[in-house]
Amino acid sequence: MANRRFLIVILALCAGSVYAFSDTELDSLYRDFRIDEVEITARALTKDVIVPQTLKGEELQRLNALSVADALRYFSGVQLKDYGGVGGIKTINVRSMGSQHTAVYYNGVQIGNAQNGQVDLGRFSLDNMEEIQLYNGQKSDIFQSAREFGAAGSVYMTTRKPYFKENERVHVRGKMRFGSFALANPNVGVDVKLTDALSMTIDAEYIYSDGKYPFRYKRVLPSGETAYDTTAVRQNGDVNAVRAELGLHHYYSNTGFWRVHGYNYWSERGVPGAIVNNVWRNGERLWDRSSFVQGIWQDEWFRRWSTRVVAKYANDYTHYINYDQRLLPSDNQYWQQEVYVSWANKVQLFRWWDVSLAYDYQFNALRKDEKITGVTDERFYRHSHWLSAATAFNIKEYLRLQASVLMTAITNHHSPITNSPKVTPGVFVSFRPYPAIDLSLNAFYKQSYRYPTFNDLYYTDLGNANLRPELARQHSVSLEYKANSQWLTANVALSYYYNRVTDKIIAYPKGQQFRWTMLNLGEVKINGVDAKADMSFFLPLRFVLRTRLNYTYQTAIDVTNPNDTYFGHQIPYIPRHSGSAVVGLEWESKRGDHYGFNYSFIYVGERYSQQENIIYNYVQPWYTHDLSMYGEWCLANSRELIANSQKVWLKANIEINNLLGQDYEVIQNYPMPKQNVRCTIAVKY
Amino acid sequence: MHNRSKILNLLSFSAAVFVLTALAVSLFSCRGEEVIYPTIGTHVTDEVQNGGLYILCEGNMGSNKARLDYMNLKTGDYYSNWYGSRNPKQLKELGDVGNDIQQYGGRLYAVINCSHKVEVMDLQARHIGQIEISNCRYMAFKNDKLYVSAYVGSVATPELVGSVFEIDTATLQITREVKVGHQPDELVVMDDKLYVVNSGGYLMNQYDSTVSVIDLQTFQEIEQIPVGLNPTRIRKDSQNRLWICCQGNLSESEANRDYAVVILDNTNRKTLLSVQASAISIQGSTAYIIDQIAGSLRAFSTIDLTEQPTPIDITAFEHPYGLLATPQALYVTDAKNYVSSGVLHCFSYDGVERWRAHTGDIPGHLCRVTGEYTLSPDTTKPDPQPTHSPYLTRVYEYLPAMGQFVNELPKYEEGDDAQSMCRKCEVSMTNNAGGLISLGGWGGYITFGFDHPVQNKEGRDIQILGNAFYMSGSTEYGSSEPGIVLVSLDENHNGLPDDTWYELKACLYDDPQTQHSYSRTYIRAGDTLQNPFHKQPYYPQWLTADEYTLTGAKLPPQSVTISGQTVQRILEYGYVDNKPNKDTEGTSFDISWAVDESGNPVTLDSIHFVRVYNAVDETFEQTGELSTEIRGAIDLHMQ
Repeated sequence: MANRRFLIVILALCAGSVYAFSDTELDSLYRDFRIDEVEITARALTKDVIVPQTLKGEELQRLNALSVADALRYFSGVQLKDYGGVGGIKTINVRSMGSQHTAVYYNGVQIGNAQNGQVDLGRFSLDNMEEIQLYNGQKSDIFQSAREFGAAGSVYMTTRKPYFKENERVHVRGKMRFGSFALANPNVGVDVKLTDALSMTIDAEYIYSDGKYPFRYKRVLPSGETAYDTTAVRQNGDVNAVRAELGLHHYYSNTGFWRVHGYNYWSERGVPGAIVNNVWRNGERLWDRSSFVQGIWQDEWFRRWSTRVVAKYANDYTHYINYDQRLLPSDNQYWQQEVYVSWANKVQLFRWWDVSLAYDYQFNALRKDEKITGVTDERFYRHSHWLSAATAFNIKEYLRLQASVLMTAITNHHSPITNSPKVTPGVFVSFRPYPAIDLSLNAFYKQSYRYPTFNDLYYTDLGNANLRPELARQHSVSLEYKANSQWLTANVALSYYYNRVTDKIIAYPKGQQFRWTMLNLGEVKINGVDAKADMSFFLPLRFVLRTRLNYTYQTAIDVTNPNDTYFGHQIPYIPRHSGSAVVGLEWESKRGDHYGFNYSFIYVGERYSQQENIIYNYVQPWYTHDLSMYGEWCLANSRELIANSQKVWLKANIEINNLLGQDYEVIQNYPMPKQNVRCTIAVKY
Repeated sequence: MHNRSKILNLLSFSAAVFVLTALAVSLFSCRGEEVIYPTIGTHVTDEVQNGGLYILCEGNMGSNKARLDYMNLKTGDYYSNWYGSRNPKQLKELGDVGNDIQQYGGRLYAVINCSHKVEVMDLQARHIGQIEISNCRYMAFKNDKLYVSAYVGSVATPELVGSVFEIDTATLQITREVKVGHQPDELVVMDDKLYVVNSGGYLMNQYDSTVSVIDLQTFQEIEQIPVGLNPTRIRKDSQNRLWICCQGNLSESEANRDYAVVILDNTNRKTLLSVQASAISIQGSTAYIIDQIAGSLRAFSTIDLTEQPTPIDITAFEHPYGLLATPQALYVTDAKNYVSSGVLHCFSYDGVERWRAHTGDIPGHLCRVTGEYTLSPDTTKPDPQPTHSPYLTRVYEYLPAMGQFVNELPKYEEGDDAQSMCRKCEVSMTNNAGGLISLGGWGGYITFGFDHPVQNKEGRDIQILGNAFYMSGSTEYGSSEPGIVLVSLDENHNGLPDDTWYELKACLYDDPQTQHSYSRTYIRAGDTLQNPFHKQPYYPQWLTADEYTLTGAKLPPQSVTISGQTVQRILEYGYVDNKPNKDTEGTSFDISWAVDESGNPVTLDSIHFVRVYNAVDETFEQTGELSTEIRGAIDLHMQ
């Protein structure tokens, strides 16, 4: 049954139909399966005009990836900033516009960090993840929260949703992972069907790593003679984290559902710091607590009016201490709170024309105590309003078009100036010349603002309360072709994009002494090409070969001021060439066991660590080869569960990362781990 | 069938994609061995000066990009990352955040703040050793001791006070430590005391505002003098006053900021200049200051503390940052946006920019040296030849006759003795520093040497610099204060100038009016003839004896009055401080001129020591006595 359902989904997604499934449609899809397993009620107008890059389900689990950040390396147009190790900060930068232009969504609701505007994607485990999607621009679906129209790039993380076959009431998963650097990572998940309509998911995880990985610095003279060659062990890179989640899903009718999600994350970690001459360890420690509760309610009336209400409360705490007695002994604490509500509506005027209207409000508060500088109980507040209007229409099967406008009004207390509300448009078009062939020509234009964060505005001695938001303008065209047959499914795409970021918020030294401030100074022109090819070959003897290739070429040129020495140079840490290749071979035995082998290669080309593209800032390319092998066995039908034909599965996975042990750095002076191993054993029923 | 052709289409299409991807992959460049950062030389000027200049570029914290660049002023070549090729085996290069660089004796010292060390190098910047000091900031030197301020002491204190460490430069070991105020920055030595500014830079809004005074004998803090909020720089001027640059509360807007330059004299009397000074460099009697708020270079007289106009214009700089005023030129850097290359500008004092060079990130600290080095083809091996300085390196004796510049050039300070006065002469003259030493009245002398014997070769061998000049429009008359040169060979190999002296026979040697055995006694009690312009004692204050007698030759009077001006006849050859320095031949001497006591020529292959004494005994009411001055000496064969 499971396989059949899977097949239906695959067919539905790939059969050259106009159907594809955004978050909401998947909800209804699951719901429909749950009820009668057949009927699919998604309609053409609500789907994404431009299909996102997606990693999901088993494919996601097969990758050599521990966190969401690791998985995002397999998308094109994405640059990951990784400070190394399990606990090192990992952020992504989509199409070179800067990591703060990327919005991150957890089950459909944005995760905010009003303090620094960055979300550490290394903290999100893949264990509980059903799907990761990356949208360039916005999710091109007009039925969404107003705020979702506001980002330049969007990452959607969707956690596993429970679905039960008839007679099933409970699913349990247990997982234990061990690995190099004393990695210990147990994970437990339980799904319970409380009533036919109401289900609950619980997921909890603990992760520990001492972060003590060896790294090596070797330099040679031009003659080839070794200048120095030293191996040391990374210190103060340990991490201790607990994540616990609770979800309630209630599908109370054919059209309506609500979901509530509670999330809690605690961690303590060392901040390993830069390795510089004569400094091999640092004394910074960080404690985090991140909690939120979010709820979504959605329903539809008369098959014409859909409405969705989202509410969220988040409460975050960060405590930073620098124990290094050689430096300023900082002891800072930050409390952040966020309240968010959203109401989105969509009306179907005709079968080929939808309109939507959404309004979001968010309140952010930051309180900080900084012991050494004597700042205590300093508080900052922000009120944000978003209002969006959007429309989507189809011209037969040939053309689909969406247009949206978003008005953003953000007021910061403590700010002497009020930025007038900003209006940003977005237009997304998809053209299919031959409806019989799944070939589409897509294009979009979009403007979006990146608003200054609390740090940009008020950071002690550095903030500048007069900042304007930073503007990104994106132009993108792409060609996408999908095909499938009994033997093969393929999805190939080629995109070209031109982005321009103006009023870029950068740190700039001001007047006297060595002091920085944030300024709207900087302009970047980005030209890029993304190419991808995902293919699955269904071979004889139940073998499946999967390949996933991505390649990105981009120039991201600083065009701020012709008098700068770096005018026309590639901006820091953006390679011209980058790409990844994944090849996996899977075999299914007759009784349904699976065995597989996965190889992945990630390449990031040469970059510069600073604005000037000179030899002293040159950073070598890096590339890693990762291998994994796995097996999944159906142990037996457990006695008690025979009645409902539930099976017990055992899964084992071994990964070898950085197989050739390359000594590389993503960020200069932050060495990455050499070869390392992870083993996972999982049981589920 | 239709289906099959579709599959074929698909296959060919995917094959094409694969090929394209493979092509893209082949464009990928591979990772090679990481080669050390090169030293890159760039010719930036055709102007020729002597010596060199080190530029310590700070680099941003965490970037490990502290970079030591070197400018060869003789060849006009600028070398970026000079340290790198001299020390390719230094693990992780020079380090993180360069904060100070100075020369002392034959060594170069650099503070690398975030690498928590003082890097010790030879004058070519080859690594000798390092001194581990946490969060070290700035340096000062005295009597072969290095003093380093540091934001933290060897034991961190809850009050966050810093320390000053004393290091023996011979052993590079820390010998003593004294706690001072909050976040001590620059420091200077004056009168056996160390003055260090306590900035309190870590304590935003509660800056420190004091100067700690440390007695160098006991190495105890004897007092904390309040000066102004957030003092970061302290320099000593020609009048023995301290210039302290207080930055004020940086959280305040520039308009409301209480910055100041506080000038402290030796009675702790304070004078306040309402000037923002982020960098300061004192040359002669002028203090040059970078006012970052105004974005300009300003100059103040150290005599009367008035602002002087300066034609040097730096208002077009993005962020003027580092500053060094030398007798020949003023060097000032532009740090640009602090995260990209800066620029070093060289100005002459007439305001003309002579040349400029691209530096590393945040060029903050400059150090003038004598050495002129070039990149040897194989940068990894030390130069096969030991390098000697062409300039005089050692002063053995300095005994001026009573005179109006005695105790001033060089400056006598309480506690100085004959030896420390010699060291002061070295500071003025070694490495072509170009400082002026006065020999006082007739018979006053100085004895100096090089770090190698000077060969007696074809033509002139040694140039000795003075301050003579021609009267305008004439090469026959001018300011000439002739001194006689004696040379000596270290016959007993004890390294001391206690061997036979030979006079270099000059043009008036055989003049009947030249008295060859003249002598004069100077008496402390006789120190009454004071010129209104020079009111310090004329008797060498470091002498314990109350009288001393000098002997030698005395030349006939050379002064004449031309249109009311007292000038001297310029002598033909063979005397120090007789012709202008730019006349190399006229200021140079040939060892072959040496004669013994009876005037017979002697043949010397080389010499070790040189003595110069004032050979004229003439005093005038307005201009005081004629006194030989010297600025340095050069072995002409080393050039």
